[in-house]
Amino acid sequence: MSTLHPASVPYRSISRSINTGFLFFLVGVFASPGGAGTNILVIGGMVAVGIALGVVYEIAYYKRFRYELTGDTFDVASGVLSRRDREVPLRRIQNVDVGQNVLQRALGIAAVDVETAGGGQTEVTLRYVGEDEARRLQRRLRRGEATDEAEGDAEDEDEELLFELQRNELAVLSVFTIDPGASLLGGILLSFASGFDPSTLIPIDVLESDLPGTGLIAIAWALLLFALAAWVLSAALTFSRYYGFRLTRVDDELHYERGLLQRYSGTIPLDKVQTLTIKESVPYRWVGYGSLAVETAGYAPGQSGSRGAESAVPIAARDRVFALARSLEPFGETDLETPPARARERYAVRYVAVLCLIMGVGYVLAATTAVVQDWYAFAVLLFAVPLAAHLKWRNRGYHTGDQYLTTRTGFWRRTTKVVPYYRVQSVIYHQTVFQRRRRLASVTADTASSASFFGRAATAYDVDAEDALELQRTVEARLQQRLQERKRQRTVGRWFEEVASEDDRDDPGVGRSSEDST
Amino acid sequence: MERLNPRVRVVWLLVAGLRAAMLGGLLVGGAATVYLTGIWENAPQLLVWGALGVAVALGIVRLAIAWRRYGVWRFEVQDDALYIERGVFTRVKTVVPYVRVQHVDTRRAPLERAVDLATVVVYTAGSRSADVAIPGLTPERAEELREELRRLAIESEGEDAV
Repeated sequence: MSTLHPASVPYRSISRSINTGFLFFLVGVFASPGGAGTNILVIGGMVAVGIALGVVYEIAYYKRFRYELTGDTFDVASGVLSRRDREVPLRRIQNVDVGQNVLQRALGIAAVDVETAGGGQTEVTLRYVGEDEARRLQRRLRRGEATDEAEGDAEDEDEELLFELQRNELAVLSVFTIDPGASLLGGILLSFASGFDPSTLIPIDVLESDLPGTGLIAIAWALLLFALAAWVLSAALTFSRYYGFRLTRVDDELHYERGLLQRYSGTIPLDKVQTLTIKESVPYRWVGYGSLAVETAGYAPGQSGSRGAESAVPIAARDRVFALARSLEPFGETDLETPPARARERYAVRYVAVLCLIMGVGYVLAATTAVVQDWYAFAVLLFAVPLAAHLKWRNRGYHTGDQYLTTRTGFWRRTTKVVPYYRVQSVIYHQTVFQRRRRLASVTADTASSASFFGRAATAYDVDAEDALELQRTVEARLQQRLQERKRQRTVGRWFEEVASEDDRDDPGVGRSSEDST
Repeated sequence: MERLNPRVRVVWLLVAGLRAAMLGGLLVGGAATVYLTGIWENAPQLLVWGALGVAVALGIVRLAIAWRRYGVWRFEVQDDALYIERGVFTRVKTVVPYVRVQHVDTRRAPLERAVDLATVVVYTAGSRSADVAIPGLTPERAEELREELRRLAIESEGEDAV
């Protein structure tokens, strides 16, 4: 049984003290008698109590936390008030992530997160273990079995560098990424920095005196400044997050590292890959870039809690992205079949309908109120409809390969998904009323990838209805076929193993040496 | 292709009726509040009648959809997959290979118990079809189907579920 790193007690205590201390500070402020406002002694006392409680809790937590790597499970016993014993089967583990911020690096500790399939949250988190121990665990847990100590050295040798983020790629990524959290922070920062009252983000009176123009122009200025601050902050965050991004391959798993202030590293087991997603958003596409996300059932790598899916390769030249994707799953050429031309009419009709609806509402408003006047302003957009419909149609399509289904959709964020047939969980054919009128239908190949909870599963949109039925049958048939093949391979493999072990029994000497070498 | 037990219509109609009544109550209640409290001065009486009309129309549409749903719904226990067809407006045809079935449940809501019906729920590891449900089965048929699916799922013996 192993324990956490001793340095985790002071570190956790400090971070918890800051939290509980702050909470007690707030409570103290509110609890202390009003008027005179703050009684330093009361507040100080409560803060001290908060810190003491935090430290006591952390010591108990440290004392109680035990983990052990057995032959085929990872056992964790934890919990101060309510105790919990867990046994995670090693073959169910999907990802193992290691994270370290600046302070943790100085202390030589790291956080380990172990992810299993299903469930939105991390199965096991170790806060914190030593750096070496973290790396050892990361290797061992993914090996699928506890191996000898001697193996450690051999690991690093066959590490193959797949991808390294270039400086210009990082620059493009930072400039074009919009972080929603950062934009909020940027706004708050701006309101503080310029001495605004943070409770009112756009105080007109201050704006009018400080900035050129009045009224609407002032608001426009404020918005511009807000956007600028958000953008700069977002770029800085992205830069720090992806600084020094490296992707390496060790045997059958990917290993990534990234981060400037907070260093992350994680593994992506290749035999658990559900879907490859290649995204080429409009600004990237213009400069010939794209991104690649490797989805497993646990979660997409690097994705942590609220921040949503991050990519396995955040940005790279298009050819590199495709080459890398093919080295993971050799899906070959993809000549996509675009939807039939009548799908294009459908998109045009849809856009015209939306525009008409907007103008209709505008007309009603213009007729009854004085706020809206130029209700016909949107009519100009009607000229853009044919182009928009064409672009949407152009960027959709699917391809059924021998082993992979490829689907593509989206003009602004063109998304190509590659799904191995044997990962498909169910095949869903759906046809709306409007699709039925044009004899079209869509087919979705659902996988266990947790990214499709948030994004969309691989879907071939607006296929000819007959072809769609055929596509559904094909995917299902290929799934069965691929499963059979894999089963056969496995049984043959097992047979070889049995034969080999029987040979070993005949000659114990050979048996031992072969065991040592594997 | 197997059809559902016709009694399932009773369940669907009742559920649709209840939902429509709730929505209608909200609509008409809201309109009546606006009319009576004078938030909108000189509100036309037409408002309340209009709300009532809309509520009734929506209710009728919902009931019609619930009635129609029975005609569309069908399923089949095929050789290596469960096949389901459903959807009044959006036609959905789902194929769930037995290899992917994680577990199978039978479920009986109070309304279903009242008309002596049950629902079989099939779980996969997929995110989209995490629960494929076949409603409107007699308890015996539900039990039998669950057993059958379970047997087929075990026989097809997938390696890893995901």
